Amino acid sequence: MTDVATTTPETTLSRGAAFRANLPAGWGTAAVVAGAWVLLIIVSGIHRADFLSHQTVLAISFTMAIVGVLAVAQALVGISGGILDLSQPTGLIMSAAIVAWLLERNVPTAVVVVAGILVGAVWGFANATIVVVAKLNPIIVTLATNFIGGAVMFLVYQNAQAPLNSSFSAFGRGYFLGLPNIWWPMVILILVVGYFLPRTRYGRHMIAVGGNRFAAQTRGISLKKTRFAVFSIAGAITGGAGVLFACSNGPFAPTAGATFQLPVIASVILAGCSLAGGRGSIWLILLSVGFLSTVPTSLVFFGLNSNWQQVFQGMILIVAVSIDGWRARRLLK
Amino acid sequence: MKMTVRRQLATIAPAVLALALAGVATQPAFAFKLGMAVGGEAASNWQKPQGDVAHAIATKMGWDYVELSNNLDPAVATKNADIFIQDKVDAVIQFNGRAEVNPVLAAKYAAAHIPVVTYDIAQKGFYFVGIDNLAAGIAGGEALGKIAKDKWNCDVDLVLSSEGAGAGIVNEWRTGGMRTGLQHICPDIPKDKYVSFEGSGQVSVAAPAARDVLAAHPDAKKILVVGLNDAGVLGAVQAAEQLGRADDIIAWGQDGAFITGDNVDPHLAGSVLYFLEGYAVYAIKDVIGPIAEGKAPPMKDDAGDPASRVKPCPVSAEQAKKIPGIEERVKQLLAAPAGTTEYDLFCPKS
Repeated sequence: MTDVATTTPETTLSRGAAFRANLPAGWGTAAVVAGAWVLLIIVSGIHRADFLSHQTVLAISFTMAIVGVLAVAQALVGISGGILDLSQPTGLIMSAAIVAWLLERNVPTAVVVVAGILVGAVWGFANATIVVVAKLNPIIVTLATNFIGGAVMFLVYQNAQAPLNSSFSAFGRGYFLGLPNIWWPMVILILVVGYFLPRTRYGRHMIAVGGNRFAAQTRGISLKKTRFAVFSIAGAITGGAGVLFACSNGPFAPTAGATFQLPVIASVILAGCSLAGGRGSIWLILLSVGFLSTVPTSLVFFGLNSNWQQVFQGMILIVAVSIDGWRARRLLK
Repeated sequence: MKMTVRRQLATIAPAVLALALAGVATQPAFAFKLGMAVGGEAASNWQKPQGDVAHAIATKMGWDYVELSNNLDPAVATKNADIFIQDKVDAVIQFNGRAEVNPVLAAKYAAAHIPVVTYDIAQKGFYFVGIDNLAAGIAGGEALGKIAKDKWNCDVDLVLSSEGAGAGIVNEWRTGGMRTGLQHICPDIPKDKYVSFEGSGQVSVAAPAARDVLAAHPDAKKILVVGLNDAGVLGAVQAAEQLGRADDIIAWGQDGAFITGDNVDPHLAGSVLYFLEGYAVYAIKDVIGPIAEGKAPPMKDDAGDPASRVKPCPVSAEQAKKIPGIEERVKQLLAAPAGTTEYDLFCPKS
């Protein structure tokens, strides 16, 4: 596990507690989420055997792909104390719209991909600038910029779409090793970010600022620089999600990103990333996104319509937030 | 010297007064003011042009024009009605996708004596201009049924309905109408083959929902898709493409938003074009124009007996290739003689 925490309680340990202490940090969350996921798959498979089919795997992995990438960006913001980036839907669609626009003009695909990621990074940098310069709460700033960016996009376009007959769109519909092409970048991103976050200087700065920014400042870590870095990197990752979105979706409106907000936030919290900052595992996002992406598919197999998906995701979010609060209180004790 | 000035003023003043009176006499007492409340549903590419066309025609007529967006929000639609009343517009055109608030709007406008044209969604006391949604739905369903009959002899494994519950009765007319039309041609498709999902008329909502439904029907090889609009139907097509089942699916849309242009999905077999962006031609020719001339037409607020009927234009993907995209259509419509409709200009005659 790559779970990172700034607080380590020092107490006399019982044998059970000593065993638990030797386990990798975050094992409890991993066990609970993995257990819930396996249970859901087993129950669904018992209810209907055809749930355990390649079609189900494809449906779930397509759902996971973009949510997972966005969740990594959201987790970085959360772990570094930025609480939540509510401007992700606009960042995602802005990047996707630029990608579609460039592809229509026959710009080489590699350039388009880089441009999409850069647009996201610029969007994140703009958010950081407002947060740092105006010294405002990131959650309020990103809520506002989400509205502003969405409204500006309305003024510019109604619907965008990557050319259907392009290699870019073919990639979005294609598979590698039986799984969607767009699923693999998500897995690689989670593994890479999860590995480097606690093992690099900048990664540790992010965690330190999120855990206790005053203590971090006394250690010479610049809060401003860290904010800029986190929001820009998270923005670039959101831009990457926009690239994946553009290649795997048909026509999309400026509002199309809104559907990702709830599952992304739920995934991050369920993965044990604290909204208070300083704690969270990127690798666990793979489990939480997998579990949450399986829920809607499973519900359909149980004959429940898509409206129930929002109900269940909302309930899971409440449970996850409650667990996060309980964890925070326990750490304080 | 003072006397001279007075004489000069006495000479000039009547002349100025006469000119002013003449000017007043030749100018209309006021310019007719048209209020337009566009739908504001972002996923539909025709909603902004719908206002643009109304604006262009109103300008040609020499009217004042005020445009507001309902943002697909009943509270905003109500506030817009208050603004139009306060602004003393002479008539209003509205597209309001949130029909539940229409009775409130009707009461407000009736109290202010402002005539209102409503597009596509009927309301007592509002002139109805638009499509017969049920007829359009049935026409689309029949067209899809003919393809299913030719290709699969109506032996269908699954009929997906991409619903848009937020559109209320319009969804029932269009999506339900398509199922009815399909049953006209293929009456023996068992009821349990019909499966609905909520697509909200948007690709981004419909695609994941359809993906799950398709996964839950892994053995379905002959799949038909109907729905509220092209975007909702395309969501199901996209889901099938992602699951490697694109060749199993045939879809027919409504509203024609994604059947024209050079980026049409090959699995969208056709759509019913309403040419929604050009509705103002009908509304102004048959209702607003006569009102501006002081000859208000009799109230016709029933979709079955409308003030102006918009003709639906079912087109196959092949036929749609000859129809220009929405921007070009608007350009040609505004360049055409007054009263010319897009149906006249673009609907295939055979």
